Amino acid sequence: MFRLIDHAHKLSRVLVWIGGGLILLSAFLVTVEVFVRKIFNASIAGADEISGYAFGVATTFGLAYALFERAHIRVDALFITLPRALRIVLNFFGLALLVGFAGVIAWMAWGLVGDTLQHGSRSITPMRTPLAIPQIPWLFGWIFFVACGALLFVGALWAALTGRAAKSEMMIGPKTLDEQIEDETV
Amino acid sequence: MLTKTLLILLGLIALAVPVAAALGWLGLTMQYLESPMPLHRALGDMVWQTGTDFLLVAIPMFILLGEILLRSGIAAAMYEGIVKWLGWLPGGLMHANTGSCALFAATSGSSVATAATIGTVAIPQIEKRGYNERLFLGTIAAGGTLGILIPPSINLILYGLLTDTSVPELYLAGFLPGFLLAALFMVTVIVLCIARPGWGGERVRASWGERIAALPSLLPPIGIFLVVVGSIYAGLATPTEAAALGVVAALILAAANGTLTLAMLRAAIEGTMRTTSMIMLIILAAVFLNFVLSIIGLTQALADFVTGLGLTPMQTMLMLIAVLVVVGCFMETLSMLLTTAPLITPIVVALGFDPVWFGILLMVLLETALITPPIGINLYVVQGVRERGELTDVMVGALPFVITMFAMIGFLLIFPEIALWLPSLVY
Repeated sequence: MFRLIDHAHKLSRVLVWIGGGLILLSAFLVTVEVFVRKIFNASIAGADEISGYAFGVATTFGLAYALFERAHIRVDALFITLPRALRIVLNFFGLALLVGFAGVIAWMAWGLVGDTLQHGSRSITPMRTPLAIPQIPWLFGWIFFVACGALLFVGALWAALTGRAAKSEMMIGPKTLDEQIEDETV
Repeated sequence: MLTKTLLILLGLIALAVPVAAALGWLGLTMQYLESPMPLHRALGDMVWQTGTDFLLVAIPMFILLGEILLRSGIAAAMYEGIVKWLGWLPGGLMHANTGSCALFAATSGSSVATAATIGTVAIPQIEKRGYNERLFLGTIAAGGTLGILIPPSINLILYGLLTDTSVPELYLAGFLPGFLLAALFMVTVIVLCIARPGWGGERVRASWGERIAALPSLLPPIGIFLVVVGSIYAGLATPTEAAALGVVAALILAAANGTLTLAMLRAAIEGTMRTTSMIMLIILAAVFLNFVLSIIGLTQALADFVTGLGLTPMQTMLMLIAVLVVVGCFMETLSMLLTTAPLITPIVVALGFDPVWFGILLMVLLETALITPPIGINLYVVQGVRERGELTDVMVGALPFVITMFAMIGFLLIFPEIALWLPSLVY
């Protein structure tokens, strides 16, 4: 169980490198576009459109990683004053709502991509991009996020029920301040 | 309907439900309760459209830019450089704190990264040079908030997106208030150090030669700032394109600095994507929520409620500011911006206030939220970097700057030109 979660975490990191790579490439593409436009007074059309797609895909690719890294913001003003047992229950409640909401989005995204495939939809831009190309990886990101969330939920529940409450908090509790600062400094 | 919405939102937030899920489920619940139409059907298309919006591509770009600068080691060098220029003032290094925060914030756009980075470099100086610890910590916590206001700010982009306001215009409007607030922070330190000379610690006197020699360490952040902001106003680039130029410039700087390695790039990318995905999920949920709330008429109901109070526009504005200050004590900035801007801005505009001006005012309020207890992220960050003593020290130290921010809000109310003069020259 926990091995599976570790593997999913590693996979989510690989997706993040891909997503981040797309953002980095977009930065270069857009930079080239700006220079070409200024110097040659011409436009390599589509840099904005392509980087938009890259951004959309990268975002969904990063969702699962952010979940494993416990980066999804929770307001813990009241939370930290509650008894520990309640906090542990609330961790599950919060995760369930997060994954549930993502599930609704993934479901609607599934429908959108289904329509795109059925109609062979293209973007209404000079590029006339077949929308299936960016939308399929984008949908995959959502589904992967929901799957990882469900897996994490089951794993943390297993940990909590077998008397390893601290482990479940390490998996799905909000980050402590020290952990946050460690992330932000080098 | 108003009370119901508020109760559900507060309930979910108080139970520490992730903010994105709280906003999303509030949208789904209100649709279920109040709307005859299945609004969630629009979710797929809405998430796709917003999620690939070129304006928002600026978000990962600016975060990546900040991450690269953070990891390229130029912040520490910059701090030393600013000490040479500002260390002679009463209050010594505390001005360097404010100055470096302003400069670093102007390029990185992240308050937490700014406070953490400058804090790590500066805090060891407290004992070495005999500063009043509380005030010193306060300057870092307060200085770190400047990134919200001084362009290029991600928060201003989000405000522009949610309220249909021009981002370049907002950026232009943010300059004067941003630098004025930084200056006011410094005045606050000077006044306090003249009143209580013991707080000031040792000043650093540098010769002009040393100052000139320190200039190269200031060039990287200033250079990036000029590339990003300059390209927007020279008409060369949109905010997103400027952010992309900034990323490339930061990579070149890091390479020149000898700190561009694969490991560094990987760490920068992981940090960027973690933050981007987290922010975007909240934004997507907020966009859906706003869509639902306007369809079911809640946005209008709230506006009617506020106008029904029979207050003058200025009284209403003061009331809204009071509410936002209180909300800011308990909410983290991003969530606060995304929940309040779309609801409050229409009311304010209907009252005859300028949306650009209100955007700037809201940014100052968000800055206040970062350093007002009990929930003020920058207070925690500075305390966390410090690793000793009590959180109360930082809270007390930040208090004078909360008052300075209130003064800034007052200035903006009395002289809206502070924000609107620069845009009026261009637009």
